[in-house]
Amino acid sequence: MMEEAASQLERAHVHSVYDKIAPYFNDSRYKAWPKVRQFLLDLEPGSIVADIGCGNGKYLHINKEVFKLGCDVCRPLVDFAWSQGHEVQMCDGLRLPYRDGCFDAVLSIAVIHHLSTKERRIRAIREMARTLRVGGRLMIYVWAMEQKRRKFEKQDIFVPWNPNPQSTSEHGKTRRRAAAQSVSEALDNSDKHRKVRSTSSVADDEDLTCSVPQQRTQRLWFFSRSLDSVFDFGNLTVSRSSSRDMSTLLSPTGESEGSKSSQGGRGRGLIKQVSSFFSPPSVIGSEEDVFDAVTDLHRGQTYGGGGGDNNNGTESQAVSVSLAQECGSLALPDLVPFQKEHLKQSGGESEGREQQQQQQESTKSPQGDERQVDASCLRYYHVFREGELAELIENHVDELHVTHTYFDHANWCVVAEKVQLWKI
Amino acid sequence: MKLLTHNMLMSHVKGVTKGYPLLIKATEVKVNEVEFNPQFVSRMIPKVEWSALVKAAEELGHRQDLPAELLADYEKNEEFLKKVHKVLLEVEVIEGCLQCPESGREFPITKGIPNMLLNEDEV
Repeated sequence: MMEEAASQLERAHVHSVYDKIAPYFNDSRYKAWPKVRQFLLDLEPGSIVADIGCGNGKYLHINKEVFKLGCDVCRPLVDFAWSQGHEVQMCDGLRLPYRDGCFDAVLSIAVIHHLSTKERRIRAIREMARTLRVGGRLMIYVWAMEQKRRKFEKQDIFVPWNPNPQSTSEHGKTRRRAAAQSVSEALDNSDKHRKVRSTSSVADDEDLTCSVPQQRTQRLWFFSRSLDSVFDFGNLTVSRSSSRDMSTLLSPTGESEGSKSSQGGRGRGLIKQVSSFFSPPSVIGSEEDVFDAVTDLHRGQTYGGGGGDNNNGTESQAVSVSLAQECGSLALPDLVPFQKEHLKQSGGESEGREQQQQQQESTKSPQGDERQVDASCLRYYHVFREGELAELIENHVDELHVTHTYFDHANWCVVAEKVQLWKI
Repeated sequence: MKLLTHNMLMSHVKGVTKGYPLLIKATEVKVNEVEFNPQFVSRMIPKVEWSALVKAAEELGHRQDLPAELLADYEKNEEFLKKVHKVLLEVEVIEGCLQCPESGREFPITKGIPNMLLNEDEV
């Protein structure tokens, strides 16, 4: 049952989202992480490397001395990678179609954080370990819960995709930021024929920038309970809600274990909305902070973010109810009711203007096309705590030995080596 | 799909124990020119399942008299390396399918991309 829930969640909030946003992925601002590039360049000539979850294939051209192949579940992205001349396949990381021990190295860059249960994440790592030869190395990058400026309250989140094209002024800003980038960026840009090369400084391979002509950006983060906790049958209130909401696959509003009693009886699965906020474009795209949004969101916000709980009070909970009801077809402008809470001074009028602005933005694109994608493009992420990834491997994947762990631009990274297991 | 890739692929249908190598049923094959790097080819050879490679090459009609068993001292045999190079990197299956030798399940290849995604009941 958990399996089904997990795979449905991932289908709705990972696979289908990437299918939709794939076209934007390619003309957007994604660069290869320098340390990943270095990992690839350090490989012995004649090595065979697999990029599991290769997306548009941005790592597949690095190092001509090694044979690279990539795979992904997203057809449009895989098609694009193939169009760039790479060997790619469609497949699922939970069941890799490669024989045992055939790779010298494996990459998993910003992939397994899309898996919604711990068990699935472990399975994915084990599959990659299986395909590695003894002595081969695996590099994993996942989004970190701890960002430079703040830490997320929860680990399981839904991130909306904002495809709003950049206005020309924003584009200018982006180029300037790009100019201040590291050497690796310069190297990237010299490779002109690759369309995927970006000039942006946005962290990771996710696009979190959006531009609003009115110099404001709206971000929304949805926190959720992890599927693992939803299926914790030791917690009766949780299981009651979850059994009723299996079809919606949304978690109950109950926050931490401590406060569950007060909210347990809700009986509705909901994605808890955490915030929306406005921030100037200059803040966007900081390499140090994947979730720039979050830093600003807690500035001057009225709800009690506190320790681990995000109890926004009954008002926002009521809002959350209405939001969740339409979750499948959420459009960002619909979140106006919540904005009302945080724009007390603006009152109802500005709401209307807000909405209009939203709609105007979408039609104001320089390219002139409607690039509006609604917030049904919510991507699920399990962001990792410090040490979590390494622990996962050390405790659950005997055939891997962690050799390096580090923090890189808002990601937790691990390099592990496949070891020979001896059965006594 | 190049044959070097094919050499790594196996059927991962649940319950299948002998899902390698996959049989190739090609309806469209292309031969591209790829820069010959003898060291590269030399290094790849120990990493491939030789008999699976020869079988795949044969299925596509590109065996070019490659031996059933690897020759000794192949590193210095440029002619041999060139043949291996062609078979590993230049021959590409664009359309067709890969068939699991045990279950018969077919994995389609379209536009050069094998689709190895399994259905719910096969996982």
